[in-house]
Amino acid sequence: MTAVNPVVVLMGLLVLSYLGSFLVAGRTSSGAGLPSGVEYVALGFVLGPRVLDVVGSDMLAAFEPVVQVAIGWLAFAVGLDFGYAAERRVRPGSMALGTLSALLTGAAVSAATWYAANYWHVGATAVDRLLLAGGIGAACSETARLAVRWVVERQGARGPLADRLNELAHSDHLLPLLTIAVLFALEPTRNVAVRLPLRDWPAITIGLGLLLGAGAALLLRSELRLEDAWGLLFGVSLIGIGASARLALSTLTTSFFAGLALSVLSRHRRELREMVAPTERPVLLPALLLAGARLDFRATPGLPWIVAAAIAARIVAKVVIGWLLALSSRPARKGGVLVGLSLLSSGSLAMSIGLTFALRFPGVVGDTVLVAAVLSATVGEFIGPVRLRRTLELAGEVETSPRGIQPQTGSLRGAA
Amino acid sequence: MTGVAAAHRDLSTRAIHGVLLGAFGGLLFFITRRVPEVHGGMWIIAGFGFLLLAGTLMSELVAPIGLPHLTGYLIAGILSGPHVLKLVDEPTVKSLSPVNMLALSLIALAGGAELDLVSVRKGARTLVAATVVQTTLVLVVMSGAFIATRPLIEFARMLSPGAFAGVALLWGALAVTRSPSATLGILSQTRAHGPLATSTLAFVMTSDLVVVVLLAAVLGSVRPLIDPGASLSMSSFVTLGHELFGSIALGTTLGIVLVAYLRLVNKQMLVVLLVLGFGLTTVLEYLQFDSLLTFMVAGLIVRNMSNQGAKFVQYIEQTGAVVYVVFFAIAGADLDVPLLRTLWPVALILAGARALVTWAASQAAAHLANDPPILRRWSWSGLVSQAGLTLGLSGLVAREFPIIGTPFRSLAIATIAVNEMIGPVLFKLALDRTGETSRVSPPSFPSMRPPPID
Repeated sequence: MTAVNPVVVLMGLLVLSYLGSFLVAGRTSSGAGLPSGVEYVALGFVLGPRVLDVVGSDMLAAFEPVVQVAIGWLAFAVGLDFGYAAERRVRPGSMALGTLSALLTGAAVSAATWYAANYWHVGATAVDRLLLAGGIGAACSETARLAVRWVVERQGARGPLADRLNELAHSDHLLPLLTIAVLFALEPTRNVAVRLPLRDWPAITIGLGLLLGAGAALLLRSELRLEDAWGLLFGVSLIGIGASARLALSTLTTSFFAGLALSVLSRHRRELREMVAPTERPVLLPALLLAGARLDFRATPGLPWIVAAAIAARIVAKVVIGWLLALSSRPARKGGVLVGLSLLSSGSLAMSIGLTFALRFPGVVGDTVLVAAVLSATVGEFIGPVRLRRTLELAGEVETSPRGIQPQTGSLRGAA
Repeated sequence: MTGVAAAHRDLSTRAIHGVLLGAFGGLLFFITRRVPEVHGGMWIIAGFGFLLLAGTLMSELVAPIGLPHLTGYLIAGILSGPHVLKLVDEPTVKSLSPVNMLALSLIALAGGAELDLVSVRKGARTLVAATVVQTTLVLVVMSGAFIATRPLIEFARMLSPGAFAGVALLWGALAVTRSPSATLGILSQTRAHGPLATSTLAFVMTSDLVVVVLLAAVLGSVRPLIDPGASLSMSSFVTLGHELFGSIALGTTLGIVLVAYLRLVNKQMLVVLLVLGFGLTTVLEYLQFDSLLTFMVAGLIVRNMSNQGAKFVQYIEQTGAVVYVVFFAIAGADLDVPLLRTLWPVALILAGARALVTWAASQAAAHLANDPPILRRWSWSGLVSQAGLTLGLSGLVAREFPIIGTPFRSLAIATIAVNEMIGPVLFKLALDRTGETSRVSPPSFPSMRPPPID
């Protein structure tokens, strides 16, 4: 049998994902389609080596640079957008609550996963279990920043609670990305000629990102053609991704901090964001398909229990965060006791964290984190948007006639 | 702002760019020296990023001395490539070769879409005269030049006189090739419009067709001279016919599909161009069609059979801006510097002879076609560059005649390197001198001052 050219397969996947997005795009206003893009992950799973084998294991290895670039670029875009919601600066209170939300959710999920992993004897060593628990905790701690905005915009919601929830969804990414920088340091590459204590690796990860971002900001200070600006932006971002991959650092963390530094230091933040936002989708969809192809639901016998524990812990943690929100905010109290479930959607960043673990720690740890990230996002899709809609109705922030506004550019549905 | 202040600001900007380029290069230098790569293939990402960044910055740094951006990209590639600083190693350069597929497809699509048949028809006399005279004179004179330099060419001494004559003819045919990529690269940077830009583009794009036919004819004719066991064969012409007609037919179909897509969908053109560049090129390779010709015909159809041409060119320029930087930087990184160091005297003689005969042929052709003074003076300038197409054809010759394969290709690579460095500089100089370079500022950030015009 003649071997299929990987380039042709990748292009086929690209076309397939766009055909899918075109088909779903026309029905977004009627509620079809999922904002996190888990349907592409499902499609990837069907095409992957465990079902149809159109995308074989060898191809997955060949496409690894594509996946690294996609998730790195997404993290760069998240960093560029961090601290802003709909072009408005996130209030300090929301930022603090968002970070607390990530901390509580991540801690609860990690603890539940740790106990489940110990019970089912998953992971050969304590470090493996720590990586597993920490990885799933990181992947499950974020709220999809675009999913909240998607519902808010589609429902034509306006009011203090909608604003607060949107801001919370835009401010809980820092902690999971710091966590994976620390977790990656637990197993540093053994090929570096320079020997450093373990605690220095997260600092190097963050420092590298900040330096690259600052360099990019300095380069973009001058008068530049738009095409040169693209060259510099891509160039710096790809250097960060490639260097992190070679040093076995967290690509996501480096890229996030590069984007964050650029956002803080450049006077062109808004224009850069407008440039980068429409590219999120083209790079992300093939990565989601490839994430689906990597899914291995039989990675370990204890996998269903670990994932169930993680999802249950996430739901409980979000409910608790909702109570905390209600304690501090009058409009949130109107949203009902389950207001926290409005923040249950997770999406592209969660799946990127799952993917980065699958690439960095292939085997039981990586596969389990990826499956947990995908299933958590899937459950979140079914509960989060519905609950958010109900919460906003209870708070009286939904207009009687939904406007059916399409989400802004950058959403998974945005450009479709 | 005064001129002095602007010059001072310009200087400080370039100094910052230079320092940051050094800093990014230093980072990569440190990593490549201290961290051996174990996770195969991942350095391709950093390599791509650095070539893009270094090419972009180097093009800004060389602009004040009048060098085209393309030369900056090439210099960045040479410096960071496997023969100088080794920031991008040889396997990484090879792994980046799919970028060439994408770049060449975009170049051919843009080249076709820039060709306005009405203008070409108006300048048909010039085009025909230039094609006939350039092809004939360059073929004959460069074959002669190759024969004249025989004492300097080591592998030629081992060949019989007949075989050597055959190799000289092959060299002559190779010398006829031009560089569509360099031409489009310079035109894209300068946004030039005028008789020189139009006639050079038309000539270079159509010369692809001429070269393919000529090389097939020469290959078939010289085979018995180089390989005494072989006989004169018509099979290569059958293959050529299949390749040409197939490419034109497929290009026409593709052009019609693109017109329909632009009219009816007009979304996600980035994805369409990526699929064409990577996916369709691979399919064309499998079918043994000429991808350059196919895409050029498709672009030609979009431009001349619909009103979607301008929009299409804009899409290609948006996508191509980044791709061209990496494409030329890879070409620089791929340049065999040690080989050039060995073969530079003969490469310089052959490149000089080619430039001279190109100039002489353009004078003769301009006289025959009664061209305007601008074309008489400068039409040769855009025809000196050679790059990927010539490299590909030299590889084909090497495969067809293994007896001379490696040394012939090495000499071709060395000569192409010289032409690749000199040609774009000449063409940009000519466009600047004739006033065809656009004085309109290219798009920039709204919050930025407009960029300087190079």
